[in-house]
Amino acid sequence: MNAWTVVLAAGFGSYLLRMSMIGAADRIRLPSRLDDSAVLVAPTAFAALAVTSIAGSMLGAGVPQAFAPLAAATVAVLAVLRTGSTYAAVLAGMPTLWILTLLTSA
Amino acid sequence: MFPPSLPAVAPGQLVNVKVRVKEPTIIRYRAYRRDFVGGMRAMVPWLIGVAPFGLVIGVSAAQADIPTLAGWLTGPLIYAGSAQVATIQMLDAGAAPYAVIVTAMVINLRLILYSGAMATYWRGTPLWWRLLGGYLLIDPSFVVGVERYGRESDRRRGHAHYLGGAVVLWVTWLAVIAVGATAGARLPDWLRLEFLIPLYLIGEIVPKLRQVATRRAVLVAAVVAVACLSVPMHLGIAIGIVAGIAAGVTNAPGMGRPAVKSEAVSTEEGHR
Repeated sequence: MNAWTVVLAAGFGSYLLRMSMIGAADRIRLPSRLDDSAVLVAPTAFAALAVTSIAGSMLGAGVPQAFAPLAAATVAVLAVLRTGSTYAAVLAGMPTLWILTLLTSA
Repeated sequence: MFPPSLPAVAPGQLVNVKVRVKEPTIIRYRAYRRDFVGGMRAMVPWLIGVAPFGLVIGVSAAQADIPTLAGWLTGPLIYAGSAQVATIQMLDAGAAPYAVIVTAMVINLRLILYSGAMATYWRGTPLWWRLLGGYLLIDPSFVVGVERYGRESDRRRGHAHYLGGAVVLWVTWLAVIAVGATAGARLPDWLRLEFLIPLYLIGEIVPKLRQVATRRAVLVAAVVAVACLSVPMHLGIAIGIVAGIAAGVTNAPGMGRPAVKSEAVSTEEGHR
């Protein structure tokens, strides 16, 4: 199964999820526990993806270079906490990553 | 003579004429143009919020070790930002195909809830409308549509409003992904643009940590995902998500019911 097939299958599955209740809302009522859990999907998915990606960047680098992604992520967290802006993470994190990568690889 | 195809008949003669009446279409653009445009306007704040995320996805599609067009196709096919990110990232990392598909499906499980909510408003509509409306259903279009359906007695006006917002979102989303993919392929490696995604995700997560249930869910998901880094097929991500959700909905003593409803779809959450 190549990338094209995977994208196609994930797209088809997503469409089925979208259509799943549209024709059966009168007959089906979701349990409240499932209803509650739905809003946790995005933040948990984001967390799992973010830490996996950061850890992947660190594992692939040497000891001094591995510090840069972790420091950039830490600065990003602090920037968002400080400003409350979502984009502060990128605006603070990327320059941190560039500078530290430059310093640690010099 | 009208209609011209009728045969000539004598005055007073009774004729049996079958008239085919075209079924009323669900939305007549001219009649509901104002509602359609109103839906487009209501979507503007969402567009500003989701455009950078679309650009990041486009850049990641260009940087990933998959055909750029395949990465872009996650837009029209999956049409859900976080699931698109997961799909591109996991394909780039060489994850097993089934793990990628399962992860995308888990992330998109909330669409079942949106589907159930919209179904009550789309009862009695033609099949083509349900197929189209369902395809366009995602967090921003859901919010824009439901908000209008809730205060509009004329369902057809609500349909026009939903469609206006959903269409402009769809077009914008695919366009910004294409821009990101085009620009991203030409940018130098030292920029390390692949790191945009985890940083962007951090920006999305941190403001939500005020909720106890969300904080617990995020922490557990992160810890479990890291602990499962060595799990084959990159299933650690899916395991982390499930563990995080389980932790979030589990009522620890004194914590009460997870307060998650109100944070369901915030503006910044955008095109998840």
